[in-house]
Amino acid sequence: MKSHFGQYGGRYVPEMLIPVLEELEKVYFKAKKDKKFQKEFEYYLKTFSGRPTPLTYAKNLTEKLGGAKIYLKNEGLNLTGAHKITHCIGQALIAKRLCKTRLIAETGAGQHGVATATVAAKFGFSCTVYMGEVDIERQRPNVFLMKQLGATVIPVSFGSKTLKDAVNAALKDYIENVDSSHYVLGSVLGPHPYPTMNRDFQSIVGREIKKQLKEYQENKPDFVIACVGGGSNAMGAFTPFLTNKQVALIGVEAGGRGKGIGENAIRFSGEGSIGVVEGYKSYFLQDNDGQLQPTHSIAAGLDYPGIGPELSFLRDQKRIDFVSSTDNEALRAVKVLANSEGIIPALESAHALAYAIKLAPTLSKEKVIVVNVSGRGDKDLFILAKAFKDKNFYEFLKKEVGNGY
Amino acid sequence: MVTNQLDRQLQQIKDKGRIGLMTHVVIGYPTLKETVIIVKTMAESGVDFIELQIPFSDPLADGPTIMKACEESLRSGTKVKDAFSIMRKLTREVSIPLLFMAYYNTVFKYGVGKFCRDAASAGASGLIVPDMPIEEENNEHFYANCQKYNLHAIHVVSPASTDERLKINARHATGFVYAAARQGITGAKGELEKTLSSYITKINNIFMIPIAVGFGISKKEHIQALKGKANIAVIGSAVIDVIDSSDSKDRERKVRQFLKKLKS
Repeated sequence: MKSHFGQYGGRYVPEMLIPVLEELEKVYFKAKKDKKFQKEFEYYLKTFSGRPTPLTYAKNLTEKLGGAKIYLKNEGLNLTGAHKITHCIGQALIAKRLCKTRLIAETGAGQHGVATATVAAKFGFSCTVYMGEVDIERQRPNVFLMKQLGATVIPVSFGSKTLKDAVNAALKDYIENVDSSHYVLGSVLGPHPYPTMNRDFQSIVGREIKKQLKEYQENKPDFVIACVGGGSNAMGAFTPFLTNKQVALIGVEAGGRGKGIGENAIRFSGEGSIGVVEGYKSYFLQDNDGQLQPTHSIAAGLDYPGIGPELSFLRDQKRIDFVSSTDNEALRAVKVLANSEGIIPALESAHALAYAIKLAPTLSKEKVIVVNVSGRGDKDLFILAKAFKDKNFYEFLKKEVGNGY
Repeated sequence: MVTNQLDRQLQQIKDKGRIGLMTHVVIGYPTLKETVIIVKTMAESGVDFIELQIPFSDPLADGPTIMKACEESLRSGTKVKDAFSIMRKLTREVSIPLLFMAYYNTVFKYGVGKFCRDAASAGASGLIVPDMPIEEENNEHFYANCQKYNLHAIHVVSPASTDERLKINARHATGFVYAAARQGITGAKGELEKTLSSYITKINNIFMIPIAVGFGISKKEHIQALKGKANIAVIGSAVIDVIDSSDSKDRERKVRQFLKKLKS
């Protein structure tokens, strides 16, 4: 199985992890070609997660912007509210084949943690989720949900206390418990075979887009747009279109509060450069000494200094273009989509929508844009209420606290 | 490879029929100045090899003790260039071989060839880079550069390594092989694994070079248990724990005391 994407990817891990990753690669490779595995995977996607997710024609938004037709791939309608459940189901089935009894996961926004806790409950694994203290602060509802699902959530108090540190903590746990545990890495990054395996699982998103567009009598999309943290939802939507050069693929990074170190999470800008961290070679926001730099995004799921190695490769190949949306643009996009289409997107996905809103009016009416709405916005309730200065919501919170335990 | 100071030290240990001791410091922790004092104290206390870890923001193989030391060193502004100047200074002032321990991103970002060249010219005898497996050599040329500049590239193996993987590592390892005493991250532990002895025997059968055993080695009894089996005992986090629990005034004395007890 291919372990690199051009110069990127690889398996830069201590010897401690190599045997278990080799075994994972072997078992995954076998499962990939096993019709029984694929059938089982599809069975749970359909009957448990609720696939296929709809492709919705955003008629009101399209007419309002007066340009290209906008379609929304609504991944938010998956069980647990985002695309993450797909690779969690896939990896849980692999973990069963590996005879593991425990799942480990890292989480940023909490979506991947909730999805892992969900499959752990469903398939009978115990589950430990690592989450940075900063992320726990901003995504408390997901911590609550993970606990209800029976997972142990361990706050990560070192480093920047965000997603990258949760990945480190999870990798360390994996090193210590390779015999009993499978690490459900939650994006298309980390050491081989994770970037390939998660991409394969997620590519059902792009395959469904293809099929569903035909039902709308559309031949192909002209643009597919997705937000990019680590890149799992983007690779899922993009992969089936890679060979069709007439489909432009656009990844949207987190522009945060603007320029400067610690203000955004734009890897593909002057500040990002090639490095080898957390087991893979790719672009990272790092200084001249190779120390990872702090990042910021209003969307915890995009607040990460690295990016999936295949995305770096496809960017070099000029197959994927990268742009960015700021915190404020994402917030505005949440409002626009909620009002015009009745869909409240996750703040992560809102970054992709914000760019689509800019792009659509510049295109003719025959053009087709597909936006991957990777998750729904329920988890962002507190951030949104604060950003939109909803006084009544805060009154409600105060009352709730007053009612107390 | 031409022999360097590390080979001579290994030979000396062998001639005397004793077990060698390797210790570990994080450069710039607690301060650069204190790193110099601690390393000198270690050398004076009869330590045979010292790993000087270049602090990194995301140290994958390290437990809480070393992770925290890296974080604090970086917070107080330690740079990679400081690591080279401290190596240069110390190799002039102590007579035992010193090695760099670093994560691969530090080496990669500096430039692999340049890093090896500068490490050698600063007097380092070897490099321990745990996240640079031999499988990536075709892209990285790390081991080739170590050889070019007469640096030992120390391979780390673990109890989870299959025979096949041990053999692959044995083909490339020089100097000594670093065998992790347990599957895990760095850090002091109370007990040694029961299977340690058979694991060391297995490594001895596959590797033609001396064996250093580390990870969880923290006290005299551990070293005693390794005698006659391994060539070097590695004390990493345990010394840093001593550094942590003492203030700058009596740190030197505490480190000396701790090492004396180990070697008694």
